Amino acid sequence: MTAETLMLAGGVSAFFMTVYWVRKRDLREKYAVAWLAVATLLLLCGLFPHIIMCWAEAAHLSYPSAVLFIALGIIYPFAFSVSLSLTRQYRQNVRLMQCLALLEHRVRMLEQNNANAEGEKVSEAGSAGRS
Amino acid sequence: MRNLIVIPAYNEQGALTRTLSELEGLPDGYEILLVNDGSTDTTGELARKWSETCRRPVYVVDLPINSGIGVTVQTGYIFAAQHGGYRYVIQFDADGQHDAAAIPLLIRECETRDLDLCIGSRFLEPDAGGFRSTAARRLGIRFFTWLISSLSGVRVSDPTSGLRCAGPRAWQRFARCYPEDYPEPESLFWCARNHLRIGEVPVRMWPRQTGVSSIGSRGALYYMIKVSVAILLDRSRIKEHGV
Repeated sequence: MTAETLMLAGGVSAFFMTVYWVRKRDLREKYAVAWLAVATLLLLCGLFPHIIMCWAEAAHLSYPSAVLFIALGIIYPFAFSVSLSLTRQYRQNVRLMQCLALLEHRVRMLEQNNANAEGEKVSEAGSAGRS
Repeated sequence: MRNLIVIPAYNEQGALTRTLSELEGLPDGYEILLVNDGSTDTTGELARKWSETCRRPVYVVDLPINSGIGVTVQTGYIFAAQHGGYRYVIQFDADGQHDAAAIPLLIRECETRDLDLCIGSRFLEPDAGGFRSTAARRLGIRFFTWLISSLSGVRVSDPTSGLRCAGPRAWQRFARCYPEDYPEPESLFWCARNHLRIGEVPVRMWPRQTGVSSIGSRGALYYMIKVSVAILLDRSRIKEHGV
């Protein structure tokens, strides 16, 4: 398998994977846009290999190890944005959970107070009936 | 004015009854809030049963999932802010390590010296006795004492102590923002850096009656690094005015 075919296969797979996860609502469209851009880039490089050659020449990249740096350049911002997103989600989850716990406590207290008031009413009615 | 004792609890059924019994002996004016941090044992039920018979108000709030000490304690501060009418909020461990008799001392120190945060310290009086943690942990505690004192100029002998009394300026801010994990040194540094008044009183602590510490031997290194980084990064933040 040549590098071109590999990129072509990778691009097609990335494209379908992204579409699949978005359709399942497991991936937000916000992130899908970036992943689709990567898939398109891979597809273009697979279909038109001379693009990558021209680009490598222009950037003076002539070693296969340079690909590692390019990959890192793509992976780093994605991974970082995932960390940011997770942090934000975590803080929101914490706040929601605290609100839920405190509201549950208030509901329990209100129910208890209502039950006590009902009990008092019943006992008052009972004592009024006896007198 | 009432004071609120916040007890963060995770799977503390073995020690909880004794802890709550000790707190019942406190003078009037104290209310108890147990924040059950998603325990899988009967901690919540035990506390609720206790609240029915206790002569002082005991509230129980259940976090649906285990969220860590910082989130649990912050829930207590939010509770105090929502209910209102509290002067001091005291953090007190459920595992039997803390001495209930130290609570009035912390409050008195806060009132006398107009403190925003008063910490119960195991190391202020070396001859006081009691459990003073392992040698490795004491080394870590000394490191945090040094770090906080060098960065803020405030020296506290027991920065990791979970027995602390927060005045309104401190706990109202903690209700808004509080570190999620290993919060004690970090929140202490925030107070020091923002010119809140901090003090200490000597207390005796005991080994935990049941359960295990949230910081295991493998997690100790992570704890040291995480807290140090958090403190260093906090220093780069803009100071909060009008706290």
